[in-house]
Amino acid sequence: MSYPGLALEQAPPVSAPFRFFLTAPLFGLAAVVLLLWLGPGLLQSRWTPGLLALTHLLTLGVLAMAMFGALLQMLPVVAGAPVARPLAIATVVHVLLVAGTAALALGFVMPSSFLLRAAALLLAAAVMVLVAAAAHSLARAPRRHAAVHGMILAILALTVAVGLGLWLLVGHGWSGVALQRGVATDLHAGWALLGWIGILVCGVAFQVVPMFQMTPEYPEWLTRHLNRLIFAALMLWTLALAWPAAAQLGVLAAVVLVLGYAAFAVVTLDLQRRRKRRLPDVTLSFWRLGMGCLLATLLFWVVTRATPGWLADPRTGLLLGAGLIVGFALSVINGMLYKIVPFLVWFHLQNRLLHSGLLGTGVKVPHMKRVLPDAVSRRQFRAHAGAVILLPLALLWPDPLLYPFALVLGVSFLLLARNLWAASLLYRRESLRLAAPAEND
Amino acid sequence: MSARERRLDVSGLEPCEPLERTLAAAGELVPGEFLRVLHRREPFPLYPMLEQLGCAWRCQPGSTTSFEVLIWRGDDPVAAAAAADA
Repeated sequence: MSYPGLALEQAPPVSAPFRFFLTAPLFGLAAVVLLLWLGPGLLQSRWTPGLLALTHLLTLGVLAMAMFGALLQMLPVVAGAPVARPLAIATVVHVLLVAGTAALALGFVMPSSFLLRAAALLLAAAVMVLVAAAAHSLARAPRRHAAVHGMILAILALTVAVGLGLWLLVGHGWSGVALQRGVATDLHAGWALLGWIGILVCGVAFQVVPMFQMTPEYPEWLTRHLNRLIFAALMLWTLALAWPAAAQLGVLAAVVLVLGYAAFAVVTLDLQRRRKRRLPDVTLSFWRLGMGCLLATLLFWVVTRATPGWLADPRTGLLLGAGLIVGFALSVINGMLYKIVPFLVWFHLQNRLLHSGLLGTGVKVPHMKRVLPDAVSRRQFRAHAGAVILLPLALLWPDPLLYPFALVLGVSFLLLARNLWAASLLYRRESLRLAAPAEND
Repeated sequence: MSARERRLDVSGLEPCEPLERTLAAAGELVPGEFLRVLHRREPFPLYPMLEQLGCAWRCQPGSTTSFEVLIWRGDDPVAAAAAADA
């Protein structure tokens, strides 16, 4: 018996997603270096070149880097459709994303319109290749469940967010083209954070939270409707911002977005509370922190709407962005890496064991818990949680709290890099052992 | 020869234990034996690994868990017939 559209050969080689995962914390460290170098002056407004560079080192260099890797890995497994030539696609997208993100950050900081123009072309190419590969895979997906719908909508949102980002970049990098700030920046950030990142996190959570955290399944009313509602609300919001006569639609869109994401966070926390196995699990801690930050950011946004003084304060936008990027998205994605990476190491080693005919001979592959032990991951969680707690304080009182925040965040990214590289080296070592068991045993 | 059923409940285990234990049990099947694995999710990544092991399988809704996967050796007609009726 065989299952159509799913075979081990279809899973991309482990190096395809790993290159993205191993690079992500390095961009996090680059963001920390920038923060330490530019200091509190970085936070004078949301438009300082240093802050634009820092934001994109985190959103493109860390978050999108990890999400692109996970997407290439999960498309065949979750959607049941392979990505054509996965290693070539991964190599091209990775090189373009690394070069594009570095050019963008340097282009803002130096400043250099040449680098910004290069970044526009490199990032557009990276996203086009990824979107084309994903669309090719998803079009042939035999399974169309909530995670697949989530991936499709998230990729559409990514396309909109990057399109808006490129439009903004044209204003920065090409003379004679007016820079469209304000509305275009809000739309770019909204589609990136609440569309691309938020929808992908929800869609993937519907599959992986019950599977990896041993919780009950998400209720059907949420899995069927949430991602479509969020996407529709983003379209309404875009219409309201672009066409003043439809401004009232913006209120409706905001209500749907706040209630939708709040429902997702509350249901996730409730499912985790009712999980079947009550063993310590660092991913659970990351997710709880992420959901808590999501709820706190939504609540803060509602309060700012009702408090005119806060709405006008430039720090409000910084706090909202920081809550979503570092508090919510970075926590959740960092936490997922502690499941995805050990699972991939185990899965590919198990494959090697089967292919070499060693199953049942006493040769074993390391268990997931041995690939990344909980104690090691927990140290990084403590550093990350410390950074998340310090972040709002650093934004409100940058002098002197920005430096301790940057140092704690730096420790967190260093530990994450060390843990992921250790898992990668363990994979390499075990692969060699399985390739030559007689010499080693 | 009469067929024997072996039962394995992995519904309360975290990944990758269900796959690991199922593969180990499938590798130990002797002629005339089939395996009934009780699972809370359909284990798609397991199937190609079973193929690699030379096993056949059938997944059906379970009575006590969401799914049951019946597994037998591909060259074992006795176990295959018993699993078809299980």
